[in-house]
Amino acid sequence: MLSAALLFVLVLALSVGSESISIFELSDQQRAILFDIRMPRVFLGACVGACLAVAGASLQALLRNPLAEPYLLGVSNGAALGTMLAFVFLGSSGVAKPLMAFAGAGLATFAVYQMARGRAGMNVERLVLAGVIVTTFLSSIIVLLTSVLDAARLRGFTFWLLGDLSQATYPGFYMTLVAAVLGTLFLSSQARALNLMMVGERDALDFGVEIGRVRLMVFGFSSLLVGTAVAASGSVGYVGLIVPHLVRLSTGSDNRLVVPLSALAGAIFVVLADTVARTAIAPRELPVGAITALIGAPLFIYLLRRN
Amino acid sequence: MRTFLIGRSNTFDLGQIALAAVVFAMAFLLSCDRAKSLTETAATRNVTDDLGRTVNVPLKIDRAVSLAPSLTEMIFAVGAGDTLVGVTSYCNYPEQAKSVQKIGDTMTPNIERIIALKPQVVFVSTSSQLEAFTKTLDEQGIAVFVSDAKSLDDVYRSFDQFGDLFGTKKQASNIISGLKRRAEAVRTRVDGKANPPKVFVQISNDPLFTIGKNSFLTEILEQAGGTSATKDVATAYPKLSKETALALNPDVIILSDSDDNKEPNEVFKNSPAVKNGRIYRINADIISRPGPRLVDAIEQIATDLYP
Repeated sequence: MLSAALLFVLVLALSVGSESISIFELSDQQRAILFDIRMPRVFLGACVGACLAVAGASLQALLRNPLAEPYLLGVSNGAALGTMLAFVFLGSSGVAKPLMAFAGAGLATFAVYQMARGRAGMNVERLVLAGVIVTTFLSSIIVLLTSVLDAARLRGFTFWLLGDLSQATYPGFYMTLVAAVLGTLFLSSQARALNLMMVGERDALDFGVEIGRVRLMVFGFSSLLVGTAVAASGSVGYVGLIVPHLVRLSTGSDNRLVVPLSALAGAIFVVLADTVARTAIAPRELPVGAITALIGAPLFIYLLRRN
Repeated sequence: MRTFLIGRSNTFDLGQIALAAVVFAMAFLLSCDRAKSLTETAATRNVTDDLGRTVNVPLKIDRAVSLAPSLTEMIFAVGAGDTLVGVTSYCNYPEQAKSVQKIGDTMTPNIERIIALKPQVVFVSTSSQLEAFTKTLDEQGIAVFVSDAKSLDDVYRSFDQFGDLFGTKKQASNIISGLKRRAEAVRTRVDGKANPPKVFVQISNDPLFTIGKNSFLTEILEQAGGTSATKDVATAYPKLSKETALALNPDVIILSDSDDNKEPNEVFKNSPAVKNGRIYRINADIISRPGPRLVDAIEQIATDLYP
């Protein structure tokens, strides 16, 4: 069902934009608009959505906390800082950005985890606070970088930081696609272990789950997902919060369903949000992150109050 | 804790409190005295700035601060450059402006340094943060004058204003007539040409920023015998959808010259501009400052459009 919905949304997104196109008769120019500009952007949006939603779903299961979200935990900011450092010191070569973003996301995840883990275990407030601290700390380094370094070279980053898909290219799309597929397959394969760990780490141990290994793998793969997504499109916020939540509402909390379905639903959500970003004030554009945050922030408050 | 506080408060005796009061009173009286002496130094008059505010300025301005590169250029041009005691870090023209004390940039000027320079008037180009800023300077007896040229006619008017303010009317009117003569010469050269070329001004490559209908460059292009491809797009400097950009098919592309803007965006590869090699670079300072060099921009663009 969700796959059909994704297909429908992709076709819808491909058929609307700031320039109108009839899919059946294309002039050379319309062909260029559709294939060179709109298509890589829509497909990249789908992959970015899948990456962020799957990362969110698995982190929530692992940390037993519905508020765990790459953007709120500072993981996206870690990836953003990594991307900027790659750009400043290594140039804009193909793999440097996603690799550095991956490293940044991994370090941020680790930092938040260490801070949130108290003697009495991990609670919601602690995790959210640790996330806020890491996020603001990394933001301030990013601001520092943009002010100290040559303004013209980093001007593009201010827009990109808010989450922006307008710089989509086919190579960027392929890279994100590979990460999305690998990450979703692997994290889905850990769903059973995550289910057991949601019940309690001790029970999971009794069932033969290697907790340390699962934790490391989930942190590693979610960092990979977030890193590639951020390197391609900046920090699109709240996707990892909204999407798994909606999926759980309709399927229950079995991660064997939640993780893979989040990939599809995440793709749908970001493609739709970006369609709004592309068309709302056409021919000008909004950053897609503004749209996702507009929907996500109220939901976050709702979830926090219900907790 | 409580006993500790009480214990501490007992250690203050009346003598110390009285001493502190005397020190504060003296400091207060001294500061009042200083503010008074600053405002009473010279004969003043009332003038009206571009926001319609009434500003009280000295009859003869000896010390001024400029918070915009365009204003610095105009003040030097009317022959009052030697009154400038502070300019922004972007003020790099004319050559002498580089050796004037820097007070930060236009958006985040260092107010302490401005006050320390003891200017009589501070010239600003935007009304952002004006309220708090003006209040602080007012208390120090420093006038704030807003000069906000948005078109070529505005620039002529500003020259008139500066000539009046600095008592260099003769020089100002010479400049105005010189600029008008040069603009008129371009006008007669390009007037009557059929089909003015459609020009796309690329401010930055990726993200793709251009000029909209509120930018003074739209008028400058007309003056130079061209027409802006994006003259109907809202705002002054919009981020443009790449789809729309591709469909514009400009005849000429003008690049605002900076490190991240050396080539036209990929989407223009099939446009007449790229096919016919009609790509021109123009100094970003000249086309971003509504000042004396705006006519240089008109001349250069006219030469590019009609070689």
